[in-house]
Amino acid sequence: MTSSVNRVERFAFSERAPHWMAALSFVYAALTGLALWTPHLFWLSDVFGGGSTIRRWHPWGGVVFAVVLGLMFRNWAREMKLDADDRQWLRKAHKYAVHDEEGLPEPGRFNAGQKMLFWVQMIATLLLFASGAVLWFPELMPRTLRLAAILIHPSVAVVSMGGIIVHIYMGTAAVPGAFRGMIQGWVRPAWARSHHPKWYRDITKS
Amino acid sequence: MVTVAKLIDTTTCIGCKACEAACQEWQDQPFPVGTYDGTYQTFPDVRHDFWNLIKFNEIEHADGGLSWHMAKFQCMHCVDAGCITACPAPGAIFRRDNGTVDFDHDKCIGCGYCITACPFDVPRLNPITQKVYKCNLCSDRTAVGLEPACIKACPTNCLTFGARDDLVQIATDRARTLREDGKASAGVYNPAGVGGTNVIYVLEDAAHPEDYGLPNDPTVPWTVRVWQGPLKWLGNAALVGGILGTFFHYIRFGPRHADEESS
Repeated sequence: MTSSVNRVERFAFSERAPHWMAALSFVYAALTGLALWTPHLFWLSDVFGGGSTIRRWHPWGGVVFAVVLGLMFRNWAREMKLDADDRQWLRKAHKYAVHDEEGLPEPGRFNAGQKMLFWVQMIATLLLFASGAVLWFPELMPRTLRLAAILIHPSVAVVSMGGIIVHIYMGTAAVPGAFRGMIQGWVRPAWARSHHPKWYRDITKS
Repeated sequence: MVTVAKLIDTTTCIGCKACEAACQEWQDQPFPVGTYDGTYQTFPDVRHDFWNLIKFNEIEHADGGLSWHMAKFQCMHCVDAGCITACPAPGAIFRRDNGTVDFDHDKCIGCGYCITACPFDVPRLNPITQKVYKCNLCSDRTAVGLEPACIKACPTNCLTFGARDDLVQIATDRARTLREDGKASAGVYNPAGVGGTNVIYVLEDAAHPEDYGLPNDPTVPWTVRVWQGPLKWLGNAALVGGILGTFFHYIRFGPRHADEESS
């Protein structure tokens, strides 16, 4: 059997490239951000060239991340809209977590959990970018804004990092096959049928 | 070691600016080119290369009278210092045994959190070195038993340097004398909101410190406290909890395989 028959395209290169640029810039911004978050993690700054270096480049990591998320928004925003099935799915998400999928609506190309992650990261990026700009240039910004930003920036970053911890777990260990879908771009038909049945039916209809 | 302090008796300040010149001299900082706004005041505010500024505050009274409050302004060396609370670089801002709040510029990363956290708006970023600067109470002088340069230069004894407890007493006595002489609202400025300061003022009108360019009731901002306190522990717990949670989910429930999936 030729490989093309046994493969379904999951993500095009134009979807994978922004995803991995986002991943790289996120890891850089998160680790340098954690170094600035608490003196207990300041040793992380040594890994990235020292305190002054990360203070200079952490904001640029954030700029790259924000721009790339713009591309991801353009790629996926329409597909990420939550429909009635998704809301039903979210109400029973705890059953999905324990592999008891009885009565869960069938997901399309993205399940409702993935859609939620998308919107959480989009909103978080807006907040991180706005508060980050304030912290970037403390001497140009009004003090009230700075005092708000020192609370908003780390709070939102924790939510964002929490989402990404779950995302990395789901995309690697928890759902075998998913990682290849984002790296090489294809999955097995059985994988598509099992994890995203509505999507699989759509692409095999024609 | 005894905590040292600086006492500024604004009632005897004549605005000669000897303290400003002495500060620049001792810190080996050339007199900077800056904004001159047509007043007696040297610059509108302290700068990264100008740490000691006499504010010439002109206060108009309701009856048309005028007060000219001269008040030397610099780092207050707070007992509860917001800059130290906010600083993410270990050891960049530290407290000396004598109570002085000082910078180690090799460790400063120029993030500017201290600028945000300071209730007196004192620290300033040098845009070229990307490090923050402020008065260090001439820690290189006090370390060898000398008084700070500004104190040495003051011709009217408006400035006094010594043990903090002694100076609080001297300030209290001086304020009482002023009140007995008819300055009814004379008092000491040693704000409790920041645990007291190691720069203490005697003000002729202590009810209105803002007339001297000093905040009325300075405190370390609550957002700085929440950020460096509960938020930090909540955030750390959430992140560690997330990592542990996914791990234990994996060993309890395992991966979700696709039906009929072989590879």
